[in-house]
Amino acid sequence: MKLTSGIYLSILTLILVIYYLVCGIYLNNLGYYNHESLFYIEKAKIVFEGTGNRLKVMGLTAPMIPFYATFPFLFFKTQAPVIASAIGTAALFYIIASTVAKRLNDDGYIWLLLVIFLFHPGIIYTAASGKSIYLILIFFFLFFLNLFKFYRSNTTFHVSIASLCLVILIFCDYKFIWLTLFFLPLVLSITIHSLNLGEQESIFRLFLSFNSPSLRRKLVNKTFALYIILFSLPLAAVLCYKLLNLTHASDLNYFAESPYATWNVLIDKLSFDQISTNSKYQIPETSILLSARVVLFAPMILIAMYLFRESTYQVLTILIPFAFIEFLHIKYDKVFLAYQYYLIFLILAYLCVIFKAHTVKNHRSFKLLLAVTILFQLYFGWYYLKNSLIPEERNFIKVLTENKEDAVQQDNVDVANYLNSLPGDAHVLVDDAIAYGVVAFTTDIKPVIMPYEGNFLSALESPDKYVDYVVVATAKNIVSGYTQLNNKYIISIRHTIPDINFRKVYETDDWIVYRVITNATEGGFGHEPTIRQ
Amino acid sequence: MSISIPELLTNDGFITAGDREAIEQHSAASGLSYIKIALTSGYISRKNYDRSILNAGYQINEHPRDEAYDQDVLDKIDLTFAHDRLAMPLRIEDNKVVVLMTSPDDDLFIDFIRFTYDMEARIILASDLDITWLSNKLLGERYTKSAVFELMKRDPDSSAVVTFSTAQLIFIFVIIALVTIGLVLSFKNTSIIINVIISSFFLVAIIFKLFLALVGSRFELHQAVTKEELKLVVDDELPIYTILLPVYKEDKLIKKLIWNLQSIDYPRHKLDIKLLIEEDDDKTFNAVKNLDFPAIFEVIVVPFHMPKTKPKACNYGLHFARGKYLTIYDAEDIPDTDQLKKVVSLFGKLPEEYICVQSALNYFNRNENFLTRMFTLEYSYWFDYMLPGLDTLDIPIPLGGTSNHFKLDELVELGAWDPFNVTEDADLGVRAYAKGYKIAIINSTTYEEANNEPFNWIRQRSRWIKGYMQTYLVHMRDPVALWKEIGWKGFLGFNFFIGATPITFLVYPLLLTFFICYVVFDLSTIRTLFPDWVLFMSIFNLMVGNILMIYVNMIAVFKRRYYELILFAIANPIYWLMHSIAAYKGLYQLIVKPFYWEKTNHGLSKVNSPTNVVK
Repeated sequence: MKLTSGIYLSILTLILVIYYLVCGIYLNNLGYYNHESLFYIEKAKIVFEGTGNRLKVMGLTAPMIPFYATFPFLFFKTQAPVIASAIGTAALFYIIASTVAKRLNDDGYIWLLLVIFLFHPGIIYTAASGKSIYLILIFFFLFFLNLFKFYRSNTTFHVSIASLCLVILIFCDYKFIWLTLFFLPLVLSITIHSLNLGEQESIFRLFLSFNSPSLRRKLVNKTFALYIILFSLPLAAVLCYKLLNLTHASDLNYFAESPYATWNVLIDKLSFDQISTNSKYQIPETSILLSARVVLFAPMILIAMYLFRESTYQVLTILIPFAFIEFLHIKYDKVFLAYQYYLIFLILAYLCVIFKAHTVKNHRSFKLLLAVTILFQLYFGWYYLKNSLIPEERNFIKVLTENKEDAVQQDNVDVANYLNSLPGDAHVLVDDAIAYGVVAFTTDIKPVIMPYEGNFLSALESPDKYVDYVVVATAKNIVSGYTQLNNKYIISIRHTIPDINFRKVYETDDWIVYRVITNATEGGFGHEPTIRQ
Repeated sequence: MSISIPELLTNDGFITAGDREAIEQHSAASGLSYIKIALTSGYISRKNYDRSILNAGYQINEHPRDEAYDQDVLDKIDLTFAHDRLAMPLRIEDNKVVVLMTSPDDDLFIDFIRFTYDMEARIILASDLDITWLSNKLLGERYTKSAVFELMKRDPDSSAVVTFSTAQLIFIFVIIALVTIGLVLSFKNTSIIINVIISSFFLVAIIFKLFLALVGSRFELHQAVTKEELKLVVDDELPIYTILLPVYKEDKLIKKLIWNLQSIDYPRHKLDIKLLIEEDDDKTFNAVKNLDFPAIFEVIVVPFHMPKTKPKACNYGLHFARGKYLTIYDAEDIPDTDQLKKVVSLFGKLPEEYICVQSALNYFNRNENFLTRMFTLEYSYWFDYMLPGLDTLDIPIPLGGTSNHFKLDELVELGAWDPFNVTEDADLGVRAYAKGYKIAIINSTTYEEANNEPFNWIRQRSRWIKGYMQTYLVHMRDPVALWKEIGWKGFLGFNFFIGATPITFLVYPLLLTFFICYVVFDLSTIRTLFPDWVLFMSIFNLMVGNILMIYVNMIAVFKRRYYELILFAIANPIYWLMHSIAAYKGLYQLIVKPFYWEKTNHGLSKVNSPTNVVK
């Protein structure tokens, strides 16, 4: 059986889809959800079932591509993101495996890849969490693949495709925009390499081209043109996207800074709180050590560098992601580095290896070396996830290995169940800046008034006229400071509208559902801790 | 007068003995008269020939056009023979046939007169150009009719003589009626449907173009004919190659033209170059007549007949073509010197069904001004990426106006160019595919003069867009048949390439105005009219579409290494607005004067155009 044939790769991919789906649905049934997938579910509900200004939600929800990628699976409701990530991760396998098949025609490398995709905790996390990591990995892989192909073929095609992949990558995770920064010196290096000079050493080539006016002009023009081809598309896309944010949300950075537009604003703030209140200094997340952590996580990258040792600019290309994560660490110093920024090295290392494996003389020993490295990577993949500084990542491995019900989202589910039990014409005021988890589990969002709707502010000011219920964050809710609908709201609105009163009808640790009543109809500020219906 | 003309010219030192021998060999092989070869293959200038003749005591009639003629006498000679011998009979006078001849010692022609009319000839010497003018004017009617009506008679469905077929008119009016009724009954829903259709069409068209450009860019290093293959071409085995040069009022470019033609690397005696001059084009005619150095082309005067279009002139010239292969150049064109040899080599490699090879076109005056830069970007993208993309995907290629090289027999079989179509080249490309033939792209470039003047540019572009509309209407008379002929890929390609181009330019300014009003004036009516998802789709299309099209244009600079032009691609939205003006002009002309040929003025560039010698 030749695994490198298209049909076998498709079968393997299908098996992986089933494997990932089983993992994902199993985790879902144990109650495992994460902020990102819940956010996508809630926003998708607004797009397809909402009644207000959906254009803004449709266009400005970020990251855009993973959000849209859940659309085809919305039939499966809250499992849509998981199905998307399961299929997407299997697609990633197919893309990498077909690249292997085209280049090496050796089953051994496919088996090694299969081991990674079957057992690496990071890949299982990618596939079964419903997060957008699968898209990041796919387009990160395609971006670098096309760059390497460009080095070899020197055709505009590959550099254009790389640029398109970069655009998609940025719209999968905006932080990848910083990757462009580190390509600035690299592009110059590529251009110097592409000049037709007798001298081989990069530094002397640079010297030669700077000292000849015609070569200098050529170098400058070509470097500039390469920049444009590689970066104009992502930069223009971001610029247009920002302008759309400005025209539709009156804020250039709405997509990145508003909790209504993206899920990680809140998570980053939580992370910040955690760091600023934590007395124990997190040693692993310090500069330089971070790169060392990466090398430990994906030692195959060292083999990749060794294989590319003869070409300075190609080694530089591999080093760029290191610079990128170091930069992320400095730029977003109050945020822990998420697992996907480690996983990109796993993918990059394998890409480099398959790109240069044909230069290796003894394939048997080489594959053995890779197998050992992969075993090493499997262990550290598990270790890093288990000891992650991000609770969501730790929680994933906990639910996966301990086979216990996950109670993290239980509050949201309970409140949503309560809202689902209300009569169909009962309007509920909810602020989905923090309560998107609740809305995600709500079956009918039409009676729910949220900030994307024009009458939200009016409902906030005079709830008695617009809504029957209000979902309020309790003081225990760690993100209660990021919404107006918290315990202070009840006090202030009672102060503003003396006729209004609230009856507590349902309560969990994080949420309280109040029924809005006016003194004219019912008296007193009651307490009704059980379901009324 | 016993001395022969070849001897006279040799004695006068205008022709060397070696040249004389070469001309005689060429004459024996081709059947052309000695003087025709001498005057049209670059051996002697007309002025020197006249000098020799006059010095030998001959008289030259400077006004042969005033000579009386007898139609019965003319009816006995064929135009091609008159062409070959540069001579023609006019009338019978004093029991002699009065004949116009360029060379008085053409025994073959004199014998023809004796045998045909059974009389002796009375020779009047005249310039070869005057004889050509007169012979075409008086004997060319049959050829002219054929040039104009041949395709219409043979394949009426492929002729653009009818702009809109009845079915198309019914279809257009039904659509207009439906839209009007829809707008009256439900303005909102109809607007939404129109918007969605236009938006989807735009997006698909743009993505299709991006896809084509990317496919084309993938093969940018591919060489259809390599240097090594070119070295294998043996001069003696090369076939006769016809070059048609249709010109109209291009008097300023004649000298340049000769210079460019002389640089072509192809055996001179195997070139059959024909300068096609319109009957009323005295400017070009006199420019050729006044040349004081040898010309390397034969002049053919195209008799007046409507429509006065380039394809009609080419069809007319086709009757006299002697080559196995044929190509068309414009007067200002500078082809790569090895282009013809490359084409011969490629035809040798390709399967039989390939009947045409298109060379890339580009501009020598690209850095002259904004317009020439934009034009260069557009052409680089079109010929270096789009056409190779179409070629790779086996989709009909709309041929460029010049530098398309045909197999002569197959071209004639196809019905040649449609004289009623103002982009006869694009039409011919699609027709070739519909008949089961194929077109290839070659790695050779012809440098043209980019239009550097806005009004001239709009004139030229309005003709092109009108021609695209004509071509689309002609081939979409029976869409099902077209689908069957060129397959689904070809059909979609044709629709999104030929059909979409004019529509895109017509709709573009309307959508842009809507968008600007929406953003600048915050038109709330637009929001109430269209649901959110339609607005989202429209904004997405506008943003993504514009960015992608600009990007595709940026890619264009790479193959040619015109890196300095890359930023000009950003100005494309302005350039497209110029296209839109041209598109509306073209649409207007399609309705009121569909066959009118908007003449593009050449020779406006002040940039020197060196010959593109390929080393």
